[in-house]
Parts: sequence; structure tokens; C-alpha cells
Amino acid sequence: MKRKSGFLTTLAAGTAAATIVAANAIADGVPYRDVADMLYRVMSADREVYTRMVVQRLTVDHPVITVSEHFQDDLALPLPSQMFRFGAETVADGTGDFSYSLLSLHPINKKNGPGTGLEKEGLEYVADHPGRNFYGEEELGGEDYFAAVYPDFAVAQACVMCHNNHPDSPRTDFQVGDVMGGIVVRIPMD
Amino acid sequence: MPPRTILPICWVLATVVAVGMAAAWMTVGGHREMLLTGEMSGAHHQIGLACETCHAAPAFSGAAAARKALNRTCRNCHGDELQAADDSHPRKKFRNPRMAAYWEVLDARFCTTCHVEHRPETTRKGAVTVAADFCVACHAEGDQDIRTARPSHAGLAFDTCASAGCHNYHDNRALYADFLVKHADQPWLDPVPVHALSARHRTPGPPQTGSLGRSDALAPAAVLADATVLDHWAGSGHAAAGINCTGCHAPDVASGAPLAEIGAGWTAVPPLTVCRDCHRAESETFALGRHGMRQHPRIAPPRDPAATRIGAVLPEAVTAWLADPPRAVHMTVGEARLPMRSDPSDLSLDCGTCHRPHTVDTGRASVEACVSCHDDTHSRSYAGSPHHVLWQAEQGGKAAPGTGVSCATCHMPKVERRGKIFTSHNQNDRLRPNEKMIRPVCLDCHGLGFAMDALADADLVTGNFRGKPAAHVESIEWALRHAASARNTEH
Repeated sequence: MKRKSGFLTTLAAGTAAATIVAANAIADGVPYRDVADMLYRVMSADREVYTRMVVQRLTVDHPVITVSEHFQDDLALPLPSQMFRFGAETVADGTGDFSYSLLSLHPINKKNGPGTGLEKEGLEYVADHPGRNFYGEEELGGEDYFAAVYPDFAVAQACVMCHNNHPDSPRTDFQVGDVMGGIVVRIPMD
Repeated sequence: MPPRTILPICWVLATVVAVGMAAAWMTVGGHREMLLTGEMSGAHHQIGLACETCHAAPAFSGAAAARKALNRTCRNCHGDELQAADDSHPRKKFRNPRMAAYWEVLDARFCTTCHVEHRPETTRKGAVTVAADFCVACHAEGDQDIRTARPSHAGLAFDTCASAGCHNYHDNRALYADFLVKHADQPWLDPVPVHALSARHRTPGPPQTGSLGRSDALAPAAVLADATVLDHWAGSGHAAAGINCTGCHAPDVASGAPLAEIGAGWTAVPPLTVCRDCHRAESETFALGRHGMRQHPRIAPPRDPAATRIGAVLPEAVTAWLADPPRAVHMTVGEARLPMRSDPSDLSLDCGTCHRPHTVDTGRASVEACVSCHDDTHSRSYAGSPHHVLWQAEQGGKAAPGTGVSCATCHMPKVERRGKIFTSHNQNDRLRPNEKMIRPVCLDCHGLGFAMDALADADLVTGNFRGKPAAHVESIEWALRHAASARNTEH
């Protein structure tokens, strides 16, 4: 519990800082694309650090704890994708200034598949053009959004093992370095 | 002035006065029963006139602001419960704009989409006011179409998702697929059926140091003259824990004070705050349940008209007239909407209603106190039920601690917080939906499959679990089949 609180505190602090930076940047006239890129760098760094330095190190390299989708019941570490989503949901709970999601064309949980035309187009683009991002605009719920889609790579063996072995995974041949999905950042354009 | 001129003027004046009074009652203070637009649901009727508890938006703010404020106040009281339940449909999940398509069909960002108050004609169990097949809104199309994602669900009607013991909208801690698979092979009854926390709590510990006896009692002479009270206290847990009479009846009197001072500071019936000083966790959870919710810290206090902008310019007599009527701090048996015995209808609920602090028998609050008020079939059927027989055996010293099942074992079970075991007094935490009871209670003695079947069998629940379930929830079989099919596909 203490461990989880520590992660969440760090995550919350990072999220708060990112929110302030994003809000100020938009107010100062920084282009949406640059704001989205900055947010992505924070998210991507946090995600990679958690995956490599916590999950990979403590569950694969020096196994002292497990990682589990049901981490509360199993007294285990949350999956990297869960960590990411907890952050996204915490942001969504606190602000409408921006939002983000971790999606995939091959999601274990179907609700994390593309849900809008732009998401589908963006996920296909980053899968077909590794290392390149996708930018666009879309209207959702009567509001216009700037949206950016960034590739999400398999940065550690733990990612590949989990996705390839999960009974609900629609794709089981991932390798380290593959694009497994994408991070979608949205900023309202009002 | 002719009557045909006077009458309209009087009518206008009367209307202005009536509207003014209604507006004053609504926003400043006064009796508001007539403003209730419909009977309130569930337990909310207990706080029906504390309108600001829920309606926190400023007067005359728009519908959107009022809805947001309502959402916030719902979470004031129910937020922790939803978090503890690992809410399957948390609001934050639906605030992301990528969920906008769902906002059109069932806007899960707002509690009031499914729970509208003051609508008794459309309110179902759980204060739900949407149709029973509400799951169809989001789980019937595209990737979310559960009928194609799970072949076992192909022929099921959507009004059975949340009514057959398979799923709940919020709390699925005992119902999610991996949990079902993990507990699939459990027998109906554990070889050693014991509620573990109750057992730990009721197992006698080593004798406590500082225990008090009859001769240690500190009380005015008139109290000490009552041998029965004295005997009861001397045999109670309070005396065993070194709590003297003054600890509760004269808490402000310094230790070692002379008898005259004790007499001067003596309170015959100690207030709840005295109990709360030592039994904090019990007291907190009491205010979260139906028995004590009027003491919940987020219930809006009575309004003070003199403190409002309008009230500040009104004469004191007017603000006094406008003051909110005094509110009852305790719920009474007579106010309950569940079937209750009529004889103690004016009995109010505080610690002493169920607990007798001077008696040795702490088990009274676990059964006898409950059935002295509750008069529904489930409660009446407890006496002689298998659970009751086990309880009697434990109480009679013929069975091990934790083997007996009282009303409190299921409805107010022992819980552990930071290494300490206490009795949760929030009876609602294990009810509605009743599957909330599976993990903290049922699974200590029964297998998951049996527990799900038993709780899904309404007749068995009503009869207080005499016999085995006639209902069968197929979730475990389906979850096993799905897991096996996924494994086969994989290989």
C-alpha cells in the first residue's frame, strides 16, 4: 500500500506539473502540437522509467515481486499500462484542459481499441511509420480537439511476455522494439 | 375602490407573499416539507430536509451547474465506498472526450443519469431509476457487444446482466472473470468453516493488566448502592480494560478527584461523544450506515437565516421565525421503512440502543438487539437457522471462536485496519448489492460458487439460508470455458 501510495504521489506530482505547464503554454500561444509533444515526453518518460526500473527490474531481472492486472488482490505491482491509465484517469478527474489514452490496434481489453476515426487513422499511421507521430483535429461531444498520436514501443521483455501470453491478447508475436500501440493526447481547441 | 379592482390587487399581493415565503423557505430557512417534490429513496429520507447536503449549487444557478454540484455531493458521501469497491465504471473513466459517443446514450459521468432522487414511481432496488436493461446502452454494439465477445452471452437478455447475480455496475470485486476462475474448485463448505477475523477478535487474550473489580468502582454513593449495575460493570469488558465508571460518566473529572467532585461532574447517560473517544472506528462506520447516517459529517447542518445576506437585514424576530426546525440527531425505529416491530417505534438509535455497556454479554448486540427491532421474514427466520445453531454453539462454549454466525457476522462483520480488528458498523457496506458480502464474509466458510448461488436465490435469502440454493449462477462455468477456449486458441 505504501509502495502504491509512493507511485501515485509521484505520478500526481508529475501530472500536476504537466497540467500547469500545459495550461500556461496554451495561454502563452504555444502551438497545440508543441504542447502535445511536451506532454507526451513527460508521459513517455514516466512510462518507460516505471517499466524498466520497477517492473522489468523487480519482476524479471531480480524477481522479488510479481506484476499483475489484479495487483490489489495479488499484492503485486500494477501493470505498466495500468499505471499509465491511472495517471490518465487522475488527470481526467481533475481537469478538462487535456486528456490522454493508451490505445492499440491489438488491445487485450477491447475498450482500449480505436474508438474514433482519428484514433484508428493515427494508430495505423504510427504502426506503419515507426518513430513518426500523427497529428489531427476532430470533433467529439460538440467540441473541437487537437489530437496527437505517438507510437508506444515494447521497451522491455516484460511488455512482450505479458501481451504474448495473455489469453485475451489478439496478437501474440510481439518483439521488443515493436510498436504495440499508441498514446493519444487531446487538447480542446476552444 | 370597486371590488373588481380590489380582488386582482389582493390576488397579486397574495401571490407575491406566497412566492416570497416559498423562496425564503427555499433559500434562507424554515419548514421545507412542502418543497419535497417526491418521496425520497432508500435511506435518503432520513436526511430529507437537509436539502443542501445534496443540492449544493447556488440558488437559481443553471441546470448544468446544479447537475455538477449534485455529482460532487453524491461523491461526498459515496466516493470512498466507490473507491473501496474498485468501481468498475468510475466517473473519471468517462470524462475522457474519446468516450463522447457514450455520453449520448448513457452519460456515466453523472450519478444522476441512473440515480434520480424524488422519483419513487421509477426507483428500483439500489436507488436505480433507469430501465433494468441499461447495460444495452453501451454493450450491444461494435467491440463492446458482449454477445459476440462472449459466446456464452449470445442469447442473454440485457435486463439479466445485473439482476441474476452475475454483474454489478459498480462493485464486481467478487464477480470478475479471473476471480471466478481462481475460486472455481472450492467446495460448498470449507472443511474448517471459521470467520477468521471474528475468530481472532473473539479468542480470549491473556488477562489484561490494570483490570478493575467491584471494589475499584468510582461513582457517587447512590450509584454504588445499585448492586446489579455494579456487578454488571465489574464483569464487563470495560472493567477488564481498566475503564472505571468515571471514564464514561464523569470524563472531565480529573483522576483521583474526591467523590464530591465526581458527583458534581456525573452524567447519568453519557453522550455518544464519550463512546467515540475510544471506539473511533466503530463510531465513524456507524455514521456511514443507515443506523447512524444522520451523524454523517457531510450532512448539511440546519441553516442560520441570520447569517445569510437577506437575513442580515431582517429583524431578529423574522430570522428566528425563518430558522430551520430542529432536526433529530438519531434515527428512530418508527421512521424506518423496512418492516419493524411496532413496540419500540420511538426507540432512537445510538450506541446504547444495541450495546449495554454494563453487561457481560457482548453478544446481545450481534443478534438480540437486531431482532428486537427488525421484523422482516429474513430476520424472523434467523432463529433456528443453521447459522443461528452455530452461533448458539459458539456462545455456549461448545464451538470455537469464529464458528458462529450472528446477524452481525454478515451485516456488521469484523474488519482489519492497520493491524487492528474492529466491528464495521456500516451495515450498508455489505449489502445492496448483496454480492458485496461474498468476499469479506461468505468466502471464509463457503465456496464462491455456493455463495453466489445462495445470494441469487431470493427465497433462500428470505428464509435465512435454510437448505441449499435452488438458483444457479453459471458465471464460473462460463469463465472457465472462456479461459480454456483462450488457451486453446493460443496454442
